[in-house]
Amino acid sequence: MDYTNQKQPQNYSQMEDLKTLDLEESVSETIMRDLRMIAYKLKYVLIPKEQEDNGKELRNWDLWGPLIFCLALAMTLSFKADSTTSSSKSDVFAIIFVLIWVGAFVVTLNAQLLGGKVSFFQSVCLLGYCVFPINIEAIIIAFVGSYLPFVVKLIPVIICFAWSAYSSVGFMASLVPPHKKKLAVYPVFLFYLFLSWFSLIV
Amino acid sequence: MEIGVQKQTDEEKQAQPEQFNKLDDSGDKKQTGYCGFLTVEYYTPYFNVTETDVIQRIKATFLPFRPDFLNITKENPDLWGPIWINATLIFMITAIANLRQVDSEKENQSFEVGYVPQATALLYIIAFGTPVILAIVMKILGVDLSFFQTICLYGYSMSTLLPITILCYFQNEMFLWMIIAYGVGNSILFLIFNLKEELDKLQIQKKYIIIGIVVTMQLSLYLFYKLVFFSYVSEGKIELSSAAQEESQPGN
Repeated sequence: MDYTNQKQPQNYSQMEDLKTLDLEESVSETIMRDLRMIAYKLKYVLIPKEQEDNGKELRNWDLWGPLIFCLALAMTLSFKADSTTSSSKSDVFAIIFVLIWVGAFVVTLNAQLLGGKVSFFQSVCLLGYCVFPINIEAIIIAFVGSYLPFVVKLIPVIICFAWSAYSSVGFMASLVPPHKKKLAVYPVFLFYLFLSWFSLIV
Repeated sequence: MEIGVQKQTDEEKQAQPEQFNKLDDSGDKKQTGYCGFLTVEYYTPYFNVTETDVIQRIKATFLPFRPDFLNITKENPDLWGPIWINATLIFMITAIANLRQVDSEKENQSFEVGYVPQATALLYIIAFGTPVILAIVMKILGVDLSFFQTICLYGYSMSTLLPITILCYFQNEMFLWMIIAYGVGNSILFLIFNLKEELDKLQIQKKYIIIGIVVTMQLSLYLFYKLVFFSYVSEGKIELSSAAQEESQPGN
């Protein structure tokens, strides 16, 4: 379904018009509207063909999407943690949560320090949305991981890691001057590698 | 103009909140009063490197006898290297330590993830705390090196740990101690040869104070490294240290 044709708000001024209706609609409608926006952004970020306007849609950043994916990943990994690691569940949850947010913060700061002119939250939003493939692989490994040998587990991990990295690298590399591109891209790569490693190990 | 002297005049400028220098094309620092160092723009000049520069600097750390490093970075200390070399090290410590555990246990693959906060704290405090202390000591004793150059030097000296961490995968205790010894030697030589030029201007006692600080910090870093992260060789030790981990966690 193409959500752009419905009455979904596509920019802030349209959202202002709809705000007067917010109080009158049911809670489920409000939540569904937010969920649809998250789904739309997710498709936009992760499926490169959807990007016709060179990333301008990303200016409507939101942090709900990243929060949902971060919580989902942390819960999936800590759910499995009891049986496979010697650390407690809360340790794993805390580490993943802090890693995602602090990692996104540091990677964005790095891009800014290298001379990129990007809004801080826009970049954090993008990095958060690209965590979604890592979520997928964490769920796959959580459910069927114990039946598979290590090498077979590597296949979805590598595919999802490559997908995340590829989606966010395009945006990140466009921010900084050309001779510093690899310096901005390497931290993104390290960030997703770290998260993939955790989803593989736990 | 030497960088040490330039830093002093920058500090004088910062002490006058009314003075306002614009950011010009050469990338000079923008003074905005007392809290200039809290802005992003203050640190932007220190990220003025390309990937070839970074690789060249890392290569220079493995050849400590040639003081290329200080000559390369005197005019252009960078902060990208220290930050991301340490981040890579944290990941590698986690990965290699977990891989070691794959080998030693047969059925229950129990992976320790507590390395991440430990490694982060250890590496970043040493990579940024030590050079700050060293720079303060050196300024008191009269050496002309700025904070950022010392941080850059120390950060790149951590890159010796990169191949060492990978080699720590092997279980042989003798081999581990040998490569740790190599690492200590390499990084101490690297730091001392690069500081040599500055240190030669001082008296003997002051020189030895600084050399002493450098050697002590490197030794303690590498000892910590070996004993905390890679001391697992046999199964008995794994239970011992994982039991110690559980006792020290208040959540349990």
